[in-house]
Amino acid sequence: MSAQVDRRQMPSLPFDDPRHLVASRFLVDEAYLLDRQRYEEWLSLLTDDVWYRMPVRVSTGRASGFDTSPGMDHFAEDRYMLERRVRRFLTEHAWTEDPPSRLRHHVTNIRTSPMQADDELFVESAVLLFRSRGDVQPPAFLSAGREDVLRRTDGGWRLARREVFVDESVLRMQNLAVFL
Amino acid sequence: MAVHHADNPADLSELLAQVRQGFVPAHVYNDEEIFSLEKERIFGRSWIFVAHESEIPSPGDYVVRRVLQDSFIVARGEDGVVRAMFNMCLHRGMQVCRAEMGNASHFRCPYHGWSYRNDGRLFGLPFHVEGYGGEEGFARHGQRLLPAPALDTYNGLIFVNLDPSPVPLRTYLGDYAYYLDLYTRQSPEGIELHGPQRWRIAANWKIGAENFAGDSYHTPQTHISVVEIGLFREPKANKRKEGALYWADVGGGTTYKLPSGTFEERLAYVGYPPEMVERMRRTWSERQRQMVSEDGFMVSASTLFPNLSLVHNWPRVTADEDRVYPFISLRTWQPISASETEVHSWFAVDVNAPQEFKERSYKAYLMCFGSSGMFEQDDVENWVSITATAGGAMARRLLLNSRMGLDAAGKPLHPPVAGYHGTGTAYVGYGEYNQRALLSRWADLLERPMPGMSRTTLGRRVAADEAGQGEGEDS
Repeated sequence: MSAQVDRRQMPSLPFDDPRHLVASRFLVDEAYLLDRQRYEEWLSLLTDDVWYRMPVRVSTGRASGFDTSPGMDHFAEDRYMLERRVRRFLTEHAWTEDPPSRLRHHVTNIRTSPMQADDELFVESAVLLFRSRGDVQPPAFLSAGREDVLRRTDGGWRLARREVFVDESVLRMQNLAVFL
Repeated sequence: MAVHHADNPADLSELLAQVRQGFVPAHVYNDEEIFSLEKERIFGRSWIFVAHESEIPSPGDYVVRRVLQDSFIVARGEDGVVRAMFNMCLHRGMQVCRAEMGNASHFRCPYHGWSYRNDGRLFGLPFHVEGYGGEEGFARHGQRLLPAPALDTYNGLIFVNLDPSPVPLRTYLGDYAYYLDLYTRQSPEGIELHGPQRWRIAANWKIGAENFAGDSYHTPQTHISVVEIGLFREPKANKRKEGALYWADVGGGTTYKLPSGTFEERLAYVGYPPEMVERMRRTWSERQRQMVSEDGFMVSASTLFPNLSLVHNWPRVTADEDRVYPFISLRTWQPISASETEVHSWFAVDVNAPQEFKERSYKAYLMCFGSSGMFEQDDVENWVSITATAGGAMARRLLLNSRMGLDAAGKPLHPPVAGYHGTGTAYVGYGEYNQRALLSRWADLLERPMPGMSRTTLGRRVAADEAGQGEGEDS
């Protein structure tokens, strides 16, 4: 895991800063792959030590000081776990995505901030996933904020860490056979 | 075939008789009339799992959980006692707690400011003297949030019952307690429960309950992908059918047949470290140990009627091909409507397990079950599809076949397992014994009308013994 980021003191870079342009392009290109379920290519955008987490959100009083479940996530993945999930989609028997969902990741509100290390960027974004399956059920939406760490490697920029803060405490989606 | 109307007792009896035979009218999985009967006659008088004591370890800790639409604050009072209190202000009905978890000494209604201690007692009543004439005009003393009509625990599992005089929980569990122990009492201190993940699925609640109760038959088909990717080595069709299917009073489940070995070797095979195996050996009864050591059966999925299911599996969660890590999940299928269910899925682990085991076991849970689990993903796809199709007119003409394990005359194809050390009745091989047992119990309850309900009276002086546990001095 990368060093802890103090979210509150993070000024964002101007939108014409080359580092912001790099981060924005990364997220848009990533969404392009996720919409098409080109998950092997998506995996190649992740570092070997990637940490991908989606905590469970809970409704708590303002004074409680927390709004995620203290001991539960929807995802808490290292690379091995993500690879198994992708591998499963490549079998002919991942029924929940065959026929596949029609997916659209709408990515917006991108803020890029420098990190202490020159080769890392802290990138916040909002994502709205639209997912339509078959012709009977209404489509499902998942809205989330993301906090990413992008790292520059010899092969280009890679996703080293992602925390997905989904905006519902009770998901209105039949499963998370998707990535955000 | 006949069209059924659940509001006609004669038609209902005919429908339920078919269900008991294993011929299930498809519309029972999406039928508003059936659902309204289920709400009243099943969820109105069964023990319903709401929380585990480890979720609220300290005084003031609370979680808010529902039974159907009824919201209960499940809280540990300053006296350490766990209570479930109906989350509705006695005055005008506002929810006094709108968070789903936390720690509080009091719950204050945001509407007019009535406040309640975390044991439910009414504490603050603004302008009590001016507005009500004080204690003489309206007795605050003895008032409390409505307690759940009944609450009982087993191995720290907290159940409530909307029936004020149910059979005690331990009596209700009957022979099923033997199996509940295998999941929730691997040491005397029992489990810690994490979660839940919560999500809504467009599926009828019974489908998941039946699946976990006895459907070993779906594993090699629905879950073939998790075997293909090397996550799970067990559910190959031939192997899966060697497991026993047991039904014991109020619940049933599936097991896997383990390779030959001792108690210790077989628990090591599913990934338990020696210190945990040793605690299980010391904690479990001789018959519980013998289910592993003599019979070679390891519990897998299970359902306690009506809507608590458990699962125990042992996948590979690292690149090390030789290591597996077992995990346990508890989940409730909370009905929202005839065609929608909210799933609450928790991760359970023995509180005394080594930290490294807990972390790996959690990883195993996330990969296999819950909102993102690779087993669960494909299960829910099936259940959503069944439910949608069950809502139409044609489903009223179709009797689904839930007869596996019986011949045409209704006789079991094979005798029960001889010398089985578990409780209840067990069969080896594929069969829908447990689904029929579950739906037979469902049918029995649906057929039995409810006695009348009593109401509470607000403002009446309540005798001290009537006011319930934890009643202390009032201020």
